[in-house]
Amino acid sequence: MKIRNTILITAFAVGSSLHAEQLDVEKDELKFGFIKLTDCAPIVIAKEKGFFEEEGLQVEVIAQPNWKQLLDNVITGELDGAHMLSGQPIAATIGFGTKAHIVTPYTLDLNGNGITVSNAIWEQMQENDESLDTPTPKHPITADSLKPIVEEAKEDGKKLPMGMVFPVSTHNYEIRYWLAAAGINPGMYTSTDLKGFTDGDIELSTTPPPQMPATLESGKNVAYCVGEPWNQQAVAKGIGVPVTTNYDIWKNNPEKVFGVTKAWADENPNTLIAVTKALIKAGKWLDAQEDGKLVNREEACRILSQPNYVGADFDVIKNSMTGYFYFQKTDKREMPDFNVFFKYKASYPYFSDGVWFLTQMRRWGQITEAKPASWYHDTAKSVYLPEVYMAAAKHLIEEGSLSADEIPSDDFDGYKEPTDEFIDGILYDGKKPIEYLNSHKIGNKDDPSLSAS
Amino acid sequence: MADSTKDKIKYGLLKGIDVSGFKVLDPPVRLLFGEEPRKQVQDIAKYMLLPIVFVLVCLAVWTVMGPNHKTKSGEVPTPARVMTAYQDNVRFDERQQEKADDFIVAGTEREETLAETQAELARLEEEAGRLAKESASVAAEAKLETESKLSPLKANLDELKAVHKAAEDTRDAEMEKLAEAVVAKEAQPEQLVALLRQNEAIEDAEKEKEDLIKDQIDEVLANPPSEVKEAQMAANRVADEVQHYKKRIAILTNENRNVKEAEYLAKVEEGTAGLATAEDPKKVVREAKSIAKNAERAEDAKTQTYPRTATIFWQTKRSIATVFVGFLLAAALAIPIGIMCGLNRIVMACLTPIISIFRPVSPVVWLLIFQIIIGAFFPDPETHPLFVTLNNDKWFGWIVNPIAFLQTNPAMIFSACTVAMCALWPALVNTALGVSSIDKDHLNVANVLRLGFWSRLFKIIIPSSLPLVFAGLRISLGVGWMVLIAAEALSSSDGLGKFVWDEYQNGSSQSFANIILACFVVGIIGFFLDRIMIFLQRLVSFDDGSATA
Repeated sequence: MKIRNTILITAFAVGSSLHAEQLDVEKDELKFGFIKLTDCAPIVIAKEKGFFEEEGLQVEVIAQPNWKQLLDNVITGELDGAHMLSGQPIAATIGFGTKAHIVTPYTLDLNGNGITVSNAIWEQMQENDESLDTPTPKHPITADSLKPIVEEAKEDGKKLPMGMVFPVSTHNYEIRYWLAAAGINPGMYTSTDLKGFTDGDIELSTTPPPQMPATLESGKNVAYCVGEPWNQQAVAKGIGVPVTTNYDIWKNNPEKVFGVTKAWADENPNTLIAVTKALIKAGKWLDAQEDGKLVNREEACRILSQPNYVGADFDVIKNSMTGYFYFQKTDKREMPDFNVFFKYKASYPYFSDGVWFLTQMRRWGQITEAKPASWYHDTAKSVYLPEVYMAAAKHLIEEGSLSADEIPSDDFDGYKEPTDEFIDGILYDGKKPIEYLNSHKIGNKDDPSLSAS
Repeated sequence: MADSTKDKIKYGLLKGIDVSGFKVLDPPVRLLFGEEPRKQVQDIAKYMLLPIVFVLVCLAVWTVMGPNHKTKSGEVPTPARVMTAYQDNVRFDERQQEKADDFIVAGTEREETLAETQAELARLEEEAGRLAKESASVAAEAKLETESKLSPLKANLDELKAVHKAAEDTRDAEMEKLAEAVVAKEAQPEQLVALLRQNEAIEDAEKEKEDLIKDQIDEVLANPPSEVKEAQMAANRVADEVQHYKKRIAILTNENRNVKEAEYLAKVEEGTAGLATAEDPKKVVREAKSIAKNAERAEDAKTQTYPRTATIFWQTKRSIATVFVGFLLAAALAIPIGIMCGLNRIVMACLTPIISIFRPVSPVVWLLIFQIIIGAFFPDPETHPLFVTLNNDKWFGWIVNPIAFLQTNPAMIFSACTVAMCALWPALVNTALGVSSIDKDHLNVANVLRLGFWSRLFKIIIPSSLPLVFAGLRISLGVGWMVLIAAEALSSSDGLGKFVWDEYQNGSSQSFANIILACFVVGIIGFFLDRIMIFLQRLVSFDDGSATA
């Protein structure tokens, strides 16, 4: 808990000095990694708009080939920090996959993923549910109309192949949630089956995002869950139909976080606060609105489309980033909350988000043993660093670039209000992980007695 | 006299051409010196002009065929598009340079640059606005046109759907009737099944008809007119430039290291003034601390440089450096081991199983193995003495480090080791072969002269096996260069491999052209590397050797 103490000390020091001042950073030349997806925006914007500079930081932002390599580079110290999947710091900390204690002070964005099915599957879904056979079907679309197709394939001795981007990615949990909500078993992880195929009605495997549309076309996958621009690409190229976004699966779910190793955070507490400050500014800039319009998004898309950042075409990035989403070529809908970077107090690192990911890891067997509720809370608390976020926010409030109502209050305990805004309407209360786990039909269930902490 | 100098120059040139392997330049040189003009002209036509024409034909075929081959991932870019991609890369590199310059420019020069940049930005913004409007109007027109094409199709579809719905209703009614008849034993159940089948067939046919129209609708939507795309691209290009100029202004005003230094120094002064009037000892300490900190920051700011982004040119340099590191490693291992194998059959027998098993292993596997093995040596690469030394700007404070710009990191070491591992085998096998096939007479002479081991090695064995050793090294370098691109792509070590991989991941409309551009860059550099090796090989060869293969 070294970092917690340091923060208390610096927070105290801040209280005593009155004017805005750069923090005394331990390290001023930093390297951050990212994956070429639009949700790396806060990191890129903080660099390009000079928010890192304002904190006295010289930052290099380097594209990484895949999530595994990114994590390895953070662990080996090749990178100081990185754009990570929300599940990644948690999985690394509990030792599913590469083990390393990773912490996060900042949630980069909410939502931003979609599930796309191939044209053939979409046609069969339309046959099963005639209400889908219009250019603008009613949303949310559940996997109910997919279930007969899955069953038919199973009778023929086939499991429909589907794709997600990484075993601990939000996409994996989202597509599993969506399928399970319709009674399709997406497969369980066990201590010997690390691919998660056991008992599955379908076969869900890892595919790198840029290859998703190609796998759909070649029939290697019949559906996939991925971030942008790969759903919109499928529409643009006419090879698939996005049926739902994660906004409908779990409204305003955390998608990516900014992660560093615990050791790095302990060594560089002030630097971490300074980085968080810059990220908050970037997030706020990205979500700045005038008359209900996102005013900076176009410039953000322009920056992201540079080949050293996301590098996709400006027009493609603009599609989803400026609040629209094409479900079919004929079906363009307004989705103002498809990418949320700051509003709804989005960038605060909530313990309840960490607990949700832990429940899903347990539900699908990535966590092989039953754990007491207290373990869920402790793990989330060892990964999420709201105190760093709050320290950074306080500095910004003092400097006048943030107002107190844009962040949670001081006595906030880190748990969001219980919500049932999921595709199956099941209530999620972050304080009751075991009860939540047991409220699902498909997936591991644990002894209710474990909920007593 | 004059003739003999002329001849000297001529034969000197011809020898140079021969050794470097550019035999194709032979006839023009001879023609220049007036040797058998007729034959030389014929040779030039046959061996220079024809190949050029052939290449031009290939380019023409590419230009025509490319755009006609449409895949769902985009169409094949034409040579012109690849050229544009090249220019874009040059521009990208220039932008990096401009930003780096803006970061360090000082004094009045900075103000002048700022004024220029602002003027340019104003001009560009105007142009961007104009192009955006143009693009919007083109798009609106195209949209109207699309609508006009779509609406009859949509109407058709709706009509067809209505007809089919009605037909389905009648069929359902028929079916119900028949079902009642079956219940009343007035009809056979088989009839019902037959009707069911028939209806299904009709339904399928109807669906096909609907799909046909749906496909047409998709077709219309899928192909926005090329004017729209072009207008959009033109507008985007200028908008990108606007973005760049905005960033330049930000750098020139706030981020410039001299501006920052001045700011910190001002703070130091302010602090010093505050210190003079301070009475509270606690405050004095605080002020002193802040002065020290700001002075340090000012000092740091002096030497800061702009963190440049990798461009294809830098990545090419890095790839070449990596391949040579790997190649030298491979040679350093392969030649001694090869000589030992060639000299001693027991060593050869011992090493044969190892060579046979490891030679066919894919570079990808080696990369992963090296990442695990070598990664362990660099727990903290930033402070590791090897990298600190390699990346230090100045050694001992004054020797300029020529390789600092490469920014060596573990990923580069993995890639170089992978190159070495794959490039090792041809050199090793050829060296062993060269040594073991030395003319027996030479060895007999050595025996007669009673040469010791070392003089025998350096006077007889190595010189007489050199041609084969170099033939092996040439293959090794070729293999190394090929392997490197894959290794870089996988290990994300900056270089051409990473360039290609990043472009693949970008998936923008320019990516395909960039990948083809990289293909040419890799090819041309590979060609020159090969020529270098041929040159070396010819230098040490006694026989004619074949250089053109």
